[in-house]
Amino acid sequence: MHIASHLEKIEHFESARRRLDPLEDFELWFWATMVSGTNAVNAALHHAGVTPAESAFPSQPGVYHVPQPHGEALAVLKDLGDVLHVGRPPIKAPVPEDIAAMMKAMDRIEAYRDPCTRGEMDINQQVVADCEGAYEQCLRLMNKRLNGGK
Amino acid sequence: MDAIKHRQKAERVERSLAKLQSGDYELRIEAAMLAATHWLNGSLHKLGANGVDSDVLHTYMLTINEFRRLSAANAALLQAVARIEDLRPLHVRGDLPDGPAVADEACELLAEVREIAVRLGC
Repeated sequence: MHIASHLEKIEHFESARRRLDPLEDFELWFWATMVSGTNAVNAALHHAGVTPAESAFPSQPGVYHVPQPHGEALAVLKDLGDVLHVGRPPIKAPVPEDIAAMMKAMDRIEAYRDPCTRGEMDINQQVVADCEGAYEQCLRLMNKRLNGGK
Repeated sequence: MDAIKHRQKAERVERSLAKLQSGDYELRIEAAMLAATHWLNGSLHKLGANGVDSDVLHTYMLTINEFRRLSAANAALLQAVARIEDLRPLHVRGDLPDGPAVADEACELLAEVREIAVRLGC
């Protein structure tokens, strides 16, 4: 997607997060956090010129849906584009230090995905705090990059 | 995870989903996918198609062979979950218009999945 669309997605997920209780609604609170953070990484990667900002939406690594003039979308093969999750697909090109830190923060969040949303890992305040801390770091770094280091 | 726990997880996600609004369409689609997948896995355990140590992550990650095998257990269930999953690239990871209406469609599909799962004793 284009950077503006990633930012709009982040706004939507931020709004949803405010309506959810991190413990009582953990699964969706977590999912909003993870997808919002992934949008931040994609926006930063576009800003750095590592991946292209374009209307191409991933369904699996290497496959993107590209909107056509009459409304339908065509699935095409592409090497580079938005990542579905950090590491999926892996970015082979060199990545600026701040984006590498964003990706590392997202790895901390992703580590809870299957155990906590699909498995039986205990959901507690420590898990919430770890996710929140990593997410805040990710968004702070994106904002700093997009706002010219301020 | 056994069928009872899958049902509990699905219902937990559905309670959270009820707190969302029309403008939260991306998360509503994701919630439908998460809850429907729990209903699917619980149903497949009930049907004896999969053991409790074997859960489907996404239907599109199944081999064609496995998708056909599980469809033999309950094709309508697999198809409804797959239809929810197919909404994600264009409206969660993409910015095509009509997101709120598409999220409504995802929730209707989730209701279909739930109805089948409950009928199967999940």
